[in-house]
Amino acid sequence: MTVTETDSRSHEQKALTPDLMEHIEESFRVDLLRRRRHRRVQRLMLNVAGVILFLIVWEVAPRVVPGVNLQMFPPPSGVVGTLWDLVASGELAGHAWSSLKRAISGFVLGSTAGILAGLLTGRLMILRDLSDPVLHSLRSIPSIAFVPLAIVWFGLGETPKIALITWGTFFPVWVNTFIGVRDVPSIYVRSAASLGASPSGIMLQVVLPAALPFVIAGLRQATAVAFVILVAAELVGASSGLGYLISFSHLVFRVDMMFVGLMALGALGFLADTLFAAALDRIFPWYGAEAR
Amino acid sequence: MAERPDEEVVAIENVSKLFPSTEGRSTWALLDVSLSIRDGEFLCAIGPSGCGKTTLLNLIAGYIEPTRGELRFDRIPISRPAPERGVVFQEYALFPWLTALRNVEFGLKMQGMAKSERRERASEALKLVGLADAAQRYPFELSGGMRQRVAVARALVNRPRILLMDEPFAAVDALTRASLQTELLRIWREVGITIFFITHNIEEAVYLGDRIVVMSPNPGRIQETVDVDISRPRDRSEPEFGRLYAKVNGIFHSQGNPAS
Repeated sequence: MTVTETDSRSHEQKALTPDLMEHIEESFRVDLLRRRRHRRVQRLMLNVAGVILFLIVWEVAPRVVPGVNLQMFPPPSGVVGTLWDLVASGELAGHAWSSLKRAISGFVLGSTAGILAGLLTGRLMILRDLSDPVLHSLRSIPSIAFVPLAIVWFGLGETPKIALITWGTFFPVWVNTFIGVRDVPSIYVRSAASLGASPSGIMLQVVLPAALPFVIAGLRQATAVAFVILVAAELVGASSGLGYLISFSHLVFRVDMMFVGLMALGALGFLADTLFAAALDRIFPWYGAEAR
Repeated sequence: MAERPDEEVVAIENVSKLFPSTEGRSTWALLDVSLSIRDGEFLCAIGPSGCGKTTLLNLIAGYIEPTRGELRFDRIPISRPAPERGVVFQEYALFPWLTALRNVEFGLKMQGMAKSERRERASEALKLVGLADAAQRYPFELSGGMRQRVAVARALVNRPRILLMDEPFAAVDALTRASLQTELLRIWREVGITIFFITHNIEEAVYLGDRIVVMSPNPGRIQETVDVDISRPRDRSEPEFGRLYAKVNGIFHSQGNPAS
């Protein structure tokens, strides 16, 4: 075989034999894979580099900016010890788990109700008109404003926190589901009717999947909302949770501990969103493909 | 009840449809239209936009109700959509969240057919339209022509008596359209179905139809029905083809302005 790279590139081209084609295809495939792998590695390395860069800036900034007290603004080196203590004692995991349980319970309850309400108000004109002013007024009240009321009604246990998160996650899921359901292309509904689907079949097998991109957008928004309300509720009346950890640090004046709580919240939020995106790709391979 | 050779599948009797237009006014999308669709025929409806051809299809499909007049399918008044009247739309109406096979299966599933049986019938339907290999692909992975073939399979799998097609090939390129037309004629012959086919393309109507209903707008009505007595397979370069093309074209241009 004298088929070399210079041959295939030279101006006097060789006849395109099946052998040569296979060779070109093979090297094309190898090259493609290599470039993709390279892109993945590069992305990962840049991600890591970004984190390191952030840590460096954080380490240096409090030391070089004049007038900054290292107690008030502890650099990573000042936080890592506290982080390690809290991780080793299992305290951090305990708080994180308390918070996560509340967030998940409220999120599941609120978004289930939101999807149901969205389906009904999106499909049934009577329910839509009936609920429109009330739901939109309630939606306009910041959920955090209900924290005192929730404590008055439900005390300081788990119930007020879960109720608040349920309340807060309901609205973004409802509004998004509603819009998705209302704007389902009529051509899908008509097709389904012609194919013999019953009204409930159309609802569950056509309207819901067609509105799914919107529902998912609502759910994603709701995860962020859940964390906001969670912390607000835990700051006020709780004996566990990341919000409690932060407010407790305030009482004992441990800014480094506060930073650990903030970092844990950031990590949880990031994790939730990443899991969300990964699950999306798995469960709905067609999602977003239309736009691609 | 003797079976007549020209037995009608769909009877449209003095049907009118009023639609709201801007500023509280209304327009007659169809005015006093009567038409009989015969069992097994390939009927094309052609006309400029606003002539009510899609309204007519929506009425036969059962999506909307006439303001006046009556539509019957197999002597029974049409009141709602049903699998016996399959529909293929101009836009891609496949469900993007289902694979081609599952799209085709959808109707059977909705009617409660067992999985193994419906899978078998859906695969058969996909084979009929020449897409057996694309069963596991999602609509976004299919070309426009392939999507419309899946849409045809999805309607046919319910074994409808009539297939209603609303400019199904308008969105595909000319070469694909020609091959889809040929394939549709093959399927029509193989399945022995009645087809009501809307188009705005005269050549397509003359190539496909047994009869062509020429419609005109303001208000929407049937202007003339043309019999296409050319044997199949038809050759677009035949003089007879050209003669009929000219005839339909002539009716089109005689429409003038009915507002006067």
